[in-house]
Amino acid sequence: MSATSTCQDCIDLLLDYVDGELPADTKAKLDEHFHGCQPCEDFLATYQATSTLCRRSLAKKMPDSVAAKLHDFLRHEISKDRDGER
Amino acid sequence: MVEDSVLLLRAQAGEMAAFEQLVERHQHKVFAMTARMLRSDDDAAEVVQEAFLAAYKKLPEFRGESAFGSWVYRIAANYALMRLRHRKVTAQVEEPEGGPEFNERGSLIDEVADWSPNAEGQTLDAELRNAIDEASAKLPEEYRQVFLLRDVEGLSYEEIATATGDSVPAIKSRLHRARLSLRAAIDRFYADRAS
Ligand SMILES: [Zn+2]
Repeated sequence: MSATSTCQDCIDLLLDYVDGELPADTKAKLDEHFHGCQPCEDFLATYQATSTLCRRSLAKKMPDSVAAKLHDFLRHEISKDRDGER
Repeated sequence: MVEDSVLLLRAQAGEMAAFEQLVERHQHKVFAMTARMLRSDDDAAEVVQEAFLAAYKKLPEFRGESAFGSWVYRIAANYALMRLRHRKVTAQVEEPEGGPEFNERGSLIDEVADWSPNAEGQTLDAELRNAIDEASAKLPEEYRQVFLLRDVEGLSYEEIATATGDSVPAIKSRLHRARLSLRAAIDRFYADRAS
């Protein structure tokens, strides 16, 4: 990366930046860019929020009927398994 | 509440009720992940059965270096991925749509709205939920899987690499593209609402 980084440079490296995986000098350049560039700062905030929103939004619960079937299935299979050992 | 590790020891000693308690504790998370990956509750129900049965059979080998929950989770993710591989008939080379645009100097062209405070709100808007559902369903399969495993399920890059057989750099690159695409979709949602 050149001495001054562009928005594009920063956004290309966002994943490693968020993970804290960038070398210190590269991270310093990104930090500097973010401080002077409001669009990038907002982009970073929304990039991180995307993961949070998606995780919350895609949450799902197992239906009771499926849970009951799972329970019966395991009982049945495991007793078969145990009988086989005897 | 009795800890998983205690239940695990009892289950390993052959106590069925202890194993059943472990299943009850982890079934929802395992089901949620497989249902999202396979986009089918019926297929997910089968995979959950396979995964817990496999876990039961492997109980004697389980040494407890990792938590029971993440162990079963990985088993289920593997079963789900195996099914997906069978399903895949034609290889896709699509790329996810959406992402930022830059001018010739590499600067962001469009204005960026900061809607990130909404991510921490108490309840999620049903319409936003729909928008995210649709956008994630539209992602090309390889991108969707990586995104789900990492951002929704919280698996490590190494765990995903083991499960999918892809390299960590490839996984990271797909994850980044998937996030940009979903970010753009959420951004459109808020822009439409504001207009
Ligand atoms: Zn910038």
